[in-house]
Amino acid sequence: MPYYGHRLSFGTLLDPVTDPPERAVELARLSESLGYDLVMLRDEPHRPDLLDAWTALTWIAGQTERVWLGAMVQRLHRRLPAVIGRQLASLDLLSSGRAEFAFGPVESLNEVEALDEAIDIVRAILDVAELGTVTIDGRHFPVMGAQRGPLPQHTIPVWLSGSALPVLELAGRTADGWIGTAAELPLANAVIDSAATASGREPSEISRIVTVQAGDPLLPLVIEHGAGIILLDSNDPAVIERFAREAIPALRVAVDEARADLPAVVPAKPARMRAKRREGIAYDAIPITLQAHAVEPGDAAYARLRSNYLRGGSPGLILRPGTPEEVAEAIAFAREHRELPFSVRSRGHGISGRSTNDGGLIVDLRLMNKVEILDETTRRIRVQPGARWMDVAAAIEPYGWALSSGDYGGVGVGGLATAGGVGWLVREHGLTIDHMRKAQIVLADGSILETSETERPDLFWAIRGAGANMGIVTSFDFEVDPIGQVGWAQLVLDATDIAGFLQAWGSWIDNAPRDTTSFMIMGQQRSARQMYAHVLTVIDSDDPETIVSRLQPLADVARVLQQRISIETYADVMANASDHYHQGQGDPAVRSGLLNQITPEFAEAASRMIQGGGSYFFQIRSMGGAVADVPPEATAFVNRSAKFSVVAFGPSRSRLNAYWNEMTPLFDGLYLSFETDTSPERLLDAFPQPALSKLQRLKEHYDPTNLFRDNFNVLTGVRSEELGVR
Amino acid sequence: MTYNHDLQFGVFVSPIAEPAHHGAELAMVAEAAGLDLITFQDHPYNPQFLDTWTLIAYAASVTKTIRLAGNVLNLPLRDPVQLATATASLDRLSGGRIELGIGAGAFWDGIGAMGGKKLTAGQSIEALGEGIELIREIWKADEPTSLATNGNHYRVEGVARGPAPAHEIGIWVGAYKPRILRLTGRLADGWLPSLGYLPDGPASLTAMNAEIDAAAIAAGRDPSAIRRMLNINGRFMESERGLFQGPVDSWARQIVELNRDYGISTFILAADDPQTIALFGTVVAPLARELAGEIVRA
Repeated sequence: MPYYGHRLSFGTLLDPVTDPPERAVELARLSESLGYDLVMLRDEPHRPDLLDAWTALTWIAGQTERVWLGAMVQRLHRRLPAVIGRQLASLDLLSSGRAEFAFGPVESLNEVEALDEAIDIVRAILDVAELGTVTIDGRHFPVMGAQRGPLPQHTIPVWLSGSALPVLELAGRTADGWIGTAAELPLANAVIDSAATASGREPSEISRIVTVQAGDPLLPLVIEHGAGIILLDSNDPAVIERFAREAIPALRVAVDEARADLPAVVPAKPARMRAKRREGIAYDAIPITLQAHAVEPGDAAYARLRSNYLRGGSPGLILRPGTPEEVAEAIAFAREHRELPFSVRSRGHGISGRSTNDGGLIVDLRLMNKVEILDETTRRIRVQPGARWMDVAAAIEPYGWALSSGDYGGVGVGGLATAGGVGWLVREHGLTIDHMRKAQIVLADGSILETSETERPDLFWAIRGAGANMGIVTSFDFEVDPIGQVGWAQLVLDATDIAGFLQAWGSWIDNAPRDTTSFMIMGQQRSARQMYAHVLTVIDSDDPETIVSRLQPLADVARVLQQRISIETYADVMANASDHYHQGQGDPAVRSGLLNQITPEFAEAASRMIQGGGSYFFQIRSMGGAVADVPPEATAFVNRSAKFSVVAFGPSRSRLNAYWNEMTPLFDGLYLSFETDTSPERLLDAFPQPALSKLQRLKEHYDPTNLFRDNFNVLTGVRSEELGVR
Repeated sequence: MTYNHDLQFGVFVSPIAEPAHHGAELAMVAEAAGLDLITFQDHPYNPQFLDTWTLIAYAASVTKTIRLAGNVLNLPLRDPVQLATATASLDRLSGGRIELGIGAGAFWDGIGAMGGKKLTAGQSIEALGEGIELIREIWKADEPTSLATNGNHYRVEGVARGPAPAHEIGIWVGAYKPRILRLTGRLADGWLPSLGYLPDGPASLTAMNAEIDAAAIAAGRDPSAIRRMLNINGRFMESERGLFQGPVDSWARQIVELNRDYGISTFILAADDPQTIALFGTVVAPLARELAGEIVRA
């Protein structure tokens, strides 16, 4: 009684007929609506009454949203495997990770050797994590230095179909699944299993996909022969519907009963993927609810998830929970691996929050990305941590609302909303955390709590400024502001006199009304004779005269070299990030400081740093205004009197610090989100007393083993024996 | 010489893989802007791009009226029998919105790396001619006999014909040199060069047109059977600085002049941003059509 542990799934095997061409499309949509997991198209090139399966499948991808898409492709001699690899990745990307693929049915034994080559080539093209180009000098398909990619969204399984012995042996040796009829299955299993074992694979690496007709006995296929996917071979909508409504539920019940007493079995990852696993991680013990979205180094999705915006990483496992309960399970898994690095990530933009590591675990929250409107009259919204701020802005824009966050739409909600949030409306509407009214958090012990000014107020205090230390916030309730269209000015100014410019710009924005918030960026100095400053300003007004009057004094600050001024929605201003995945490398050197005034002394020091190459990206964000309306003791973001947030990205730690240390006495604290220095002294810069002591007390209460230590850990420098580490 | 074709307008969009929906989204933008056509380049050896055929099929699925084509598909890496089946299939699924832009191949190192056969320029043109004839044969689904050909590059035996496309798919060839221009005149339904590759700018079109016309006549065809198309690139600017470097009305005038002087009737703008595509479709195209109408009436 083989049982390979595959989740029982169902599909339809359709003929993409030419007349009417929409027939298979309709049946695919019907299959999806009936809850089938998979739609598979038959490809029989000698039948002119069938459409090209790959083309029809791609068309269906545009007409469906959920169902997995497969084609059984024949006529290998008319296809180049390297092109097939690109096609698979393309369909997978376009369908958001729904592509499956099968070769066959194999009719000629001459094809087996070619298939063997083709599978290797397809997999090599898809394996973007490997370095170098693909060279497989096969007899059938000589591939000589083809580039890998595109990177598919998920690991696309390659299945084989055909009942001849060499095909079955090939399936056992290399395929991810085998497709055949009920009659063929028992013998096929025997051959596949022994071929798999002989080549060092687990038989459970190979899914068994069985085509059936309505009325076939199904239970023995599953229980006695380990079928994991049942493919109904029918083009009759009534049959497809009846099978879904009657046969499938009945089979599920019968299978559950028959397996009630059997131990759970988890299908093995392919050996070629297991080889890339990291030490010390109980991959086989990943909670079942987290398995579907777990990503390990051999998975296609790994290349997309390993690194963050500025930092390269090689984690051993990425867990992607979808609910607070799953977050609790992921945390429990992390507790079991306390000795490994552990990172929490909303969208991976973090600078202080590492959000990736080498050989450890990541809890990645991107699947928890909902934005809900709770109440229109009080302008309450509920946001999950994995949403990006541009998505939040777009979701609430139709209500005429906005929530100031940062300056970049690609940043995730969670990291920013637990640290501060110095955004385009900060002078008028304060920090992002100042809008938080309630939050749900999962603690290190897995408990799921709500917190607000009235429920566990100490915890609510802590998560607004030092949230990463306390747990994983799984939802935020914010009260947002009514914001119409805003003035959006992108100016390039002559800043050749760097120090003079910084002071003049600082004085301008400091004296501007609160409706105006301005961020200033200077890059590397390329020529001693010329320096530019990019000044990006949002004015909360849709009146051109007001906008111009706010900007007018800038003309006296410095010569305007370029200007672009428009009236846009806040959501448009925030829609500035691409969907490209992060490919950060190395470890950035970034320093942060908060400043009450741009003094001549500071301006000169900053000028020396930029001219001396200590920073290649130097930004000052205006603060002040509403930030100081909130008392310093109200949240764990304490340095409320600051008028400016200063950030410098350096080419190296030592180069940057040489200049930065000169400025340190001039700062009044720092904003932790932009600080990469992990030395204990930085803690007091971010959390001047009594805040730090209070945070440490709360930390010992809510996270006594210091599980959450990846981002500005308030126990840095505290001796580990003082902690309750097991 | 205008070859009597109506003015048509399209865009040429990069089939980039990240973000994957770039091309499909711009197809929807182009359709909403009233453009006739969206086209994608095809370089299967470049993994920065999606597979162009897969993208075309997907983009066709999420649009309703716009026509789609490769610009141009790479024949050396796409088997003509397979290509004929695929284009006919998509033409049926899309209600007749597919055209076939096709090229002989150019980047032979990339083609060879993928497992394609490296050909000389002459061989590749010969292969293109065989390929086009084979594709047309496959589309003849009603012919009773199965297909057998015995070319130097493509030999098939007993291949089933069909499916038949939903409409007469136009075969468009990208061509610059005499031999492939003559092939275009003999076999193609459209000629699709790029402005940027014309050695002397638009002035080059005269001699190339003549080459195509002569080959068409020699093959017993009417030269106007071959639509003259042009990939263009440019920038909208406040004042006119050159060809497709200026305000919308100068674009419209230049289009009408290229139509009048060289018979170009399809203008395909390389663009990857929605604003440019919208401007081309909603402002330039109607202006050019209006201007062309005035000239005809005058």
